[in-house]
Amino acid sequence: MRVGFLVGILSSIAALAGPVQAGTVVGKLELPPPPERGPVTARGFVDRIENPLADIKKPSLAPYLVVTLEGEGRADAAPAQVSWDVVGESFVRPVVAVPVGAEVVIKNQTKIARNLAAAEDPKLLTGPLNPAGTKSFRAAQPAVYTIGDQDAPHLRGKLVVVATPHVAAVDDSGRFEISDVPDGSYKLRVFYYDPLGEAHGKPSGWLFTTDVTVAPKGRSTRTEVNAKLPPLTAAAGKK
Amino acid sequence: MFWSKIWLFLLALTAAAALTVALLLPRPAQRNLVRGEVNRLQTACSVIHILLADDARNRIDLAGAFSRSPEIMNALEAASSVPQLDEARMKQVRDVGETVMKAIQGSRKPDFAMLIERRGRVVARVRLDDGDWGDVAAGRPLIDDALAGYLRDDVWVQNGSLFFVSAAPVIKQGAYVGAVVLGHQVTNQLAQTLVKSLEVDMGFHLAADGIAGSRTIAFDHGPLQAAIGKLGADVTTDCQQVRPIDVRAGADDYTAIAARLPGEAASRQAYYSVLIRRPEGLGFLGTLGAVKDSDLSLGNFPWLLVGGAFLAVLALGIGLMFFEVDRPLRRLAADAVRLAKGDTERLTEDIHGGKFGSIARSVNIHIDKLGRDARSARKDLDQLLGPAPEGGLGTIDLLASPLPTARPGGPAPAVPPPPSEFRFNDSGSQPSYKPPARPAPPAWAGASPPPLRAAPPVAASPMPLAPSPPERLAERSPGRAPERAPERAPERAFDRPPERAPDRSFDRPPERAPDRSFDRPPERLAERSSPLPPDRSGAFDDDILGRGTGEMQPRVDPYFKQIFDQFVSMKRSCNEPTAGLVYERFAEKLVKNREDLMLKTGCRDVRFTVYVKDGKAALKATPVKDEA
Repeated sequence: MRVGFLVGILSSIAALAGPVQAGTVVGKLELPPPPERGPVTARGFVDRIENPLADIKKPSLAPYLVVTLEGEGRADAAPAQVSWDVVGESFVRPVVAVPVGAEVVIKNQTKIARNLAAAEDPKLLTGPLNPAGTKSFRAAQPAVYTIGDQDAPHLRGKLVVVATPHVAAVDDSGRFEISDVPDGSYKLRVFYYDPLGEAHGKPSGWLFTTDVTVAPKGRSTRTEVNAKLPPLTAAAGKK
Repeated sequence: MFWSKIWLFLLALTAAAALTVALLLPRPAQRNLVRGEVNRLQTACSVIHILLADDARNRIDLAGAFSRSPEIMNALEAASSVPQLDEARMKQVRDVGETVMKAIQGSRKPDFAMLIERRGRVVARVRLDDGDWGDVAAGRPLIDDALAGYLRDDVWVQNGSLFFVSAAPVIKQGAYVGAVVLGHQVTNQLAQTLVKSLEVDMGFHLAADGIAGSRTIAFDHGPLQAAIGKLGADVTTDCQQVRPIDVRAGADDYTAIAARLPGEAASRQAYYSVLIRRPEGLGFLGTLGAVKDSDLSLGNFPWLLVGGAFLAVLALGIGLMFFEVDRPLRRLAADAVRLAKGDTERLTEDIHGGKFGSIARSVNIHIDKLGRDARSARKDLDQLLGPAPEGGLGTIDLLASPLPTARPGGPAPAVPPPPSEFRFNDSGSQPSYKPPARPAPPAWAGASPPPLRAAPPVAASPMPLAPSPPERLAERSPGRAPERAPERAPERAFDRPPERAPDRSFDRPPERAPDRSFDRPPERLAERSSPLPPDRSGAFDDDILGRGTGEMQPRVDPYFKQIFDQFVSMKRSCNEPTAGLVYERFAEKLVKNREDLMLKTGCRDVRFTVYVKDGKAALKATPVKDEA
């Protein structure tokens, strides 16, 4: 289900931003080793216990990464709408990149009403989000918002508003693809949402930046970008 | 008196100190009681937290056992392998979960279960919201940790209820295939079980709402919420951090302490409270009321010490009172009795100390004043009545003799009159005059009055009676008409200010003078006061010589008649005329003189003596102040 939503979002972005002479930027990010699991969140009466049958799974970094491709001095058309659903006790993706001016639509696919709000701008998102209901808003300028439910601290997502329609998510292997990219020079940036770091006072931010030139080379319209992300700072504590 | 006052001061100080101690002593006990109650509250709170943690471990073990059930592992493995969940799979997995839950033994059976596939989707719910499925439960810390391979517990708020939840990963052949969550609802029974051995009450709360409790106690949760709102992030130390809070539930007062519940529910202001009924304030009466009989037994209370101290204090107080009050007072009283009896003339000041000495000095000062007043009165009497031959209180030349030219240093009489010096009581060392007993009066109009004390008879007087012819009176008083003599004598005898007599009379009780003067029947007293019957008094003229004498015969006082006879005889012996001398006027004059003298000197009686002065018959009045 999550993959389906991802494909839909990327398709809609590509359809809205697709100029006539455009290429596709594909790439693979060499992900750093995942950090150790941080201290237990919402600890109960006792500490968590490792099971004796299997190793503890490492957290996956890919869902917490978004890639943007920003052209120098270009103002490409932004997609009309970006969906970002609440699918239970979490957003469909923990972090999403949204072009400036796009309408962000949040749909509640659960049976529980949510009181979502943006920590950075309380006026951005007001009122309850009822079950099966939607909330929408437009981001007027580049910014990073933390959207969460004050009644469910674990329900939290990062909304990255960027001045480009060329954005993409990263799959578990580190691959991404941005289609309908006009030729020209761009900066490829990777944003990393670190919820555990934020819980300990370390803000999330842009993790990596590199220059990318998109130019048709014969019939090929694919531009490949391979990059190695820097290592992440280990979170404090292990439990 | 000094040491008695000091002792009284010390006693009062000790009593005040004892009262202060009695009122203050309950306060430390009250503080200790409150401190003990606070400790009991904190201990109970901590014990409850320990019991809940122990319960959490049991629940985690239960979740681990649940996750290791083969049916559960197979069902979740199958659900994790399909991209889309459907209702049929949900029901199949739910039935598996229900079956496994029924197989759980023990008293802590879970109230619900959630079966989650490896990506975090809820495959099925058992016994709670069992119609919901397919939602993503991943994101909740408990489930994220369980999917990552941890066993842990949490506290959830579901549908307005509190649940203690535990989760465990489902691992099949070393691969994670999902996770299970078991939930135990917080109920009254759980609260009662927790406080069963603690003798406290407790409740679980969600913000301002009570969720469950060992007993229904409705109180305002605001203070408790405010208290836990000030706490730090570590919920494990809440029982030691939160100060006890007084809450009121109906008519009962409680002391409460609150501690946050951990986990997700902490963000929803979930907490539990521990309450004990506030002990009654002790105070002084409360402390007395708490005293048991055994506390007052001889073995537990130093009665001997208390009794000994009481007796010592009492003895010391009595001793001080005896030495400083009783004994000096008795001494003064005895001295006063001696003074009253006449054994002494003054109180002995030297033997009386302090205030008693002051009293003695004051009494002596008054005695001295009375003495001076008496001497002054005697002087006045002497001036009034003429010089007494021996310097007595005074004599009265009632009828014929002129006033002396000078007193008291005038010429001494040839024959000393009877002593006029009076003392309250005779002492052996001082001569005193005791008037001889009067002769028995004659029978009086059929009555038998008591015998009156008679003045000393003329025959008993040492002065010789030198008779002189009656003409001698005229010769010695040529310029004086015989009829003027009676008029002049009263003027000379009673020329004192009329207001002086009442002043002197105030020195003694008003009724005392008649009592002491006339210890005879009332009718006799009247006879003494007035020699004439009241109905006859108006029958006489104002002439003592008998001019205008009425026809009625006056009643005769034997004593006055005796004096009259002596006086007449003395005048005849002095050759003085007695033609105009009438008994009634004579007696009237004596009565008036006696009354004036009694008022002036406070004497009890007056004795009249006939003697010769300058060759003439004279009459002397002597105050009598005491019984012979």
